[in-house]
Amino acid sequence: MTIEGTTELTGFELHWEISQFLFEEAALLDAPDFTGWLSVLTEDIRYRMPVRLTRERKDGHSVDPDAVYIDEDLASLSVRAARLGTRSAWAEDPPSRTRHFVTNVVVRAGDAPAEVAVRSNLLFTRSRGGSTANDVLTGLRSDVLRRADGAWKLARREVVLDQTVLGTLNLSTLY
Amino acid sequence: MSRHTRATLEPGMHKQLLDVQERLATGTLPQWVLTDPTVFNLEVERIFARTWYFIGHESELPNPGDYVTRWYINDPVVLTRTKSGELRAYLNSCMHRGTMLCTADSGNRKAFTCPYHGWTYSLDGDLIGVIADDKVYGAEMDREQWALRQLPRLESFHGMIFASLDPDVQPLDEYLGGLGWYLDILIGRTDKKMEVHGAPLRWVVDANWKIGSENFGGDAYHVAMTHRSTVELGLSPKDPLFTSYGHQVVLDQGHSMSVITKSPKLGPTPPYQGQPEELWSNFERNLTPDQLGVWRDAAVFHGTCFPNLSFLSPMHGAGGHAHLTNFLTLRQWRPIGPDKVEIWSWFLADREAPEEFKKESYKRYVATFGPAGTLEQDDVEIWTRITDASKGLMARDKDLSYGNVMNYVMGLDRVDPDPDWPGPGTAYPTTFMEAAQRSFYEVWNSLLMVD
Ligand code: FES
Ligand SMILES: [Fe+2]
Repeated sequence: MTIEGTTELTGFELHWEISQFLFEEAALLDAPDFTGWLSVLTEDIRYRMPVRLTRERKDGHSVDPDAVYIDEDLASLSVRAARLGTRSAWAEDPPSRTRHFVTNVVVRAGDAPAEVAVRSNLLFTRSRGGSTANDVLTGLRSDVLRRADGAWKLARREVVLDQTVLGTLNLSTLY
Repeated sequence: MSRHTRATLEPGMHKQLLDVQERLATGTLPQWVLTDPTVFNLEVERIFARTWYFIGHESELPNPGDYVTRWYINDPVVLTRTKSGELRAYLNSCMHRGTMLCTADSGNRKAFTCPYHGWTYSLDGDLIGVIADDKVYGAEMDREQWALRQLPRLESFHGMIFASLDPDVQPLDEYLGGLGWYLDILIGRTDKKMEVHGAPLRWVVDANWKIGSENFGGDAYHVAMTHRSTVELGLSPKDPLFTSYGHQVVLDQGHSMSVITKSPKLGPTPPYQGQPEELWSNFERNLTPDQLGVWRDAAVFHGTCFPNLSFLSPMHGAGGHAHLTNFLTLRQWRPIGPDKVEIWSWFLADREAPEEFKKESYKRYVATFGPAGTLEQDDVEIWTRITDASKGLMARDKDLSYGNVMNYVMGLDRVDPDPDWPGPGTAYPTTFMEAAQRSFYEVWNSLLMVD
């Protein structure tokens, strides 16, 4: 695959680079280092988490076209990150221990020459306080990554969770 | 009144509830009532089964055959629209062996066919198909007897659909009482009324349901501290009293509504919470001058329809104080257990509002009060802390030997109602007030004592 701004990459190399990006990005969220995380987003990032519904098979789609849990751009994601950096973001103070497990990575050509479309599965766990039970969310992520100035950045993310009723008290991080 | 649920009180419980009543009169609430399992069962049988329970909005099922599935505490409900356009709410359970008929969240059906043995019900609930009917049951089975079970009562107010398991419950209008005047402003203000946008957001929190009801019902006091992160970021004003201006209105039946106005220092709020100007004449057609007056000065409305439906209509910006956009959310606190609540959150917009405004309004709603909301997140965090700290021997001691009462004294005998308030209810000229919370628990307490 030819990606603008890179020398020719083999499929192996591209897959390795993209996977590496996703793992490093997950590590930033789990650290947590939200300021660092913002730096791997493009200026025009669009981050969405639509709502999953239980629907009859005849009705086809199980993603609500109108409802979202998160619909943000760089400005609002920056507010979110800044909030978590205040001394009074009680939901994450003390912080949860989170783990983003990213698997099933598939990389395809993107719509623009410097972009790739990436699909991955997410297993997210959250350990809070002294509870022995982790909150768990699972979902499918569809990303667009863009290569600029020699580095990959996240330009689009859509996370569709499998749960229709969230089993965690709030969505206090990013996914 | 015919009572379909009859639990007798455990020995000693009546006295303990009387004791709670006495405490409330002095502005304290025993902490054990929050998570006590016996109280929880009584709440289900004596409050939820006998009052009106919100189950959805008419715009969620616009067409004949549309249905949504809901929970009336633990009763699965299928709410549908018949061919002639009427709303019906059935227990979502087949008359043959009790199988749940619809397991999807929503959809459209011509009829409800049970997957177990194939009994089929029309949208009107009639049993219209029985496999091998003549052979197995003969002519003597009266199909009319085996229609789906309707919830005993179903009524709407400005498109909000409520059901009750008590056939003798007072009419919904009467039950809402003075709250209706404020709901006119929030939901009944335009010719074509409001519609729900998207499916309700749902999430489960390890907290008791009453905490949500009392927080939205009257707790403007928590904002500066619970949501301090937004103050630190400069998204909310620094003045620790910024949510104290306005009125807390205590209404009959345990309902309440707070109308917060902007701090006089911050200058005037745009009329009607910054709603688009093209709607103003529409509002003026649908509301009285008094209602318009109250709304014109308001920055935030929040309130609770007893027992567990709350309202919030604030104004929030995308960051900073610019472009504050108003939205309306309905929140239902569905009790799952003494220490577990499922939150259901609906967003509503005026049908006649410009599309751009609806979009912006929805964005502000999810960004602040969805489960990922920058304000919502910290609320539920605190509510779980209250619940976690209220389950032990000391907090649960019914003899109150550990001083386990909580402080609800704010404003008790210190603040006089505002005689000039134009709306119904007892309106106190401040929103830093716990009269609404006391009233909520007084009604709650009195209903628990009714056999
Ligand atoms: S249980 Fe429904 S048909 Fe038998
Ligand atoms: Fe709050």
